[in-house]
Amino acid sequence: MGQIELKNIGKTFGQTTVLENLDLTIKDGEFAVLVGASGCGKTTLLRVIAGIGPATSGELYIDGEEVSDLEPGKRGIAMVFQNYAIYPNMTVKGNIEFGLKNNKVPKAERERLIAEVAESVGLTEYLKRKPNQLSGGQRQRVALARAMVKKPKVFLMDEPLSNLDAKLRVQMRSELIELHKKLKTTFVYVTHDQTEAMSMADTIILMNKGVIQQQASPEVIYNDPNNIFTAQFIGTPPMNILKMSNGCYLGYRPEKVVLTAEENEVEAVYKKKVQIITREMLGSETLYKVRYEGEKEEANTFMVKSVEDTFGEDEHVWLNVALENLYFFDKGEMRIRENDNAEDYAACVECLKGE
Amino acid sequence: MLGLTKKQRRNIKRTSLNILEWIFKLAVCVMFLFPFYWMVITSFKPYLETLQFPPTLWPETFTLSGYFTVFEELEVLRYIKNTLIVTGSVIVLQFLVNIPAAYAFAKWEYKGKGMMWAIVLATFMIPGQLTFMTIYYMFADWGILNSLLPQILPTIASAFSIFMLRQNFKQISDEVVEAARLDNASEWKILWRVMVPMAKSTVITTVLFSFIGHWNAYFWPLVMTRNEELKPITLAIDRLKSLEQGMNYTDIMAGNVILVLPVVILFLLASKKIIQAMAYRGMK
Repeated sequence: MGQIELKNIGKTFGQTTVLENLDLTIKDGEFAVLVGASGCGKTTLLRVIAGIGPATSGELYIDGEEVSDLEPGKRGIAMVFQNYAIYPNMTVKGNIEFGLKNNKVPKAERERLIAEVAESVGLTEYLKRKPNQLSGGQRQRVALARAMVKKPKVFLMDEPLSNLDAKLRVQMRSELIELHKKLKTTFVYVTHDQTEAMSMADTIILMNKGVIQQQASPEVIYNDPNNIFTAQFIGTPPMNILKMSNGCYLGYRPEKVVLTAEENEVEAVYKKKVQIITREMLGSETLYKVRYEGEKEEANTFMVKSVEDTFGEDEHVWLNVALENLYFFDKGEMRIRENDNAEDYAACVECLKGE
Repeated sequence: MLGLTKKQRRNIKRTSLNILEWIFKLAVCVMFLFPFYWMVITSFKPYLETLQFPPTLWPETFTLSGYFTVFEELEVLRYIKNTLIVTGSVIVLQFLVNIPAAYAFAKWEYKGKGMMWAIVLATFMIPGQLTFMTIYYMFADWGILNSLLPQILPTIASAFSIFMLRQNFKQISDEVVEAARLDNASEWKILWRVMVPMAKSTVITTVLFSFIGHWNAYFWPLVMTRNEELKPITLAIDRLKSLEQGMNYTDIMAGNVILVLPVVILFLLASKKIIQAMAYRGMK
């Protein structure tokens, strides 16, 4: 029903180019999350799809139909904004009804739809209230209800949870996942928060400086990143990256490291003697900051995440990483995979032994 | 002050400050209200009593002769009709012109917007005394000097109203407008159903200012009207000065009471909205 296709999309604001030659397909019924640091173009892209900040070049298809020049209200989409953007002068019911009225839905039908949607988001008893009599979470529900009632082909959401407190955010997050399961429509969700992206998405679209770095499921994007940017953006703390003597880069995730007191306790391709600089006990896990033995004080430090809380500050221990947990990147910071580029991969493994 | 605790001393200080504050407020009120009071009582005094020295603070004999002169001899209702037609038309037309203009300046992007805004601001600063000659000749060319139009047309686009409304519209988040566009609302509908209700206080204030401005207009109708039939109430009241020999304060003040009464009533009704408009910050 709601497949979104962007072809060769470009967007400029005056002299600044934000998006250039961007191609993207979001499959029907998918929960797609656009994630990236602020200013990476993710909101711009969402606004292009919505039509409220139309592209300067390229084509946009929704459900196989070109909508590049169609007005926002005629694209069969609904959007939930960061600041809710509900109409403060209208009641909750008025807010939900406004779009229906504009689409000339008959009154009886409107009443039925409003009752239905208000029930499903738990706003039934608030229908007569004005927005300023509602809490932040309730306003968010009004914004959701207003979007849902139109039964759109595509839901667009621009950081809808960022104004809620942490507890409510987690609750709304799972409600949104449920909502997506129930509605089975395409969701495009923008966030800067990688945890939110990982927990909600079917597909993560990671952007940087207007370019899509990788589009993949959360598992793939975590386990098999395309480049250093992706590897470091997803996961907390980010992947440790260091330059090797051949100019390529080596990476390993903090949570894949095994710390041992003795050198030969475990089998590992990558072994380093390190000194623990700080230790953060987080309950279920412990975070260590370590420095390689023999390096100067100002040298890079690396993070290690361990489920066991065995070591203390200033201890000297062994850092072990197995080969399957090592990632190699070329001089252009792009990933070297064993399957695609066995030669370079082998060279990197060889180089590792000399490190 | 000896023997008092710190708290007691602080209380005394606070009370005396409060009393001072009230005296000051009262003084300001008297300064503003006394002329009105003087106008009203003078309008009820017989002619000779208005000249009496020392003046009386309350009429010794009440008379309605001033009001009789204004209504019967001056036929003030005729002029009030002119003023009402002019003021009413201006307000309606301003409503239709200034609100959409302010919306376009606040929320649309188009070529030449900065230039146009500069022109609006420029008209804000150019006094009518500079342009009345050319406008008068223009209207003479058009042959409309024998109608009320010269009093209506030049003020339809009001820089002040556009400025005030634009500032208010700008405070309304773009997202609300975008949400309405996504709700398939036309720009016209967004303006009247979303923007104007949110800017209600400012709309009322600009209408009120416009009403006061046109109700009290003196200079513009003075130069634009030659025909007695077309004159507004302000010019009629002015004529009281020369209606009889000398200044008949009873008649003049009765005329003034009639002139300011509608404005005062309107202001009292809308003062809350005016304060809101000036202090509007929007809902977060």
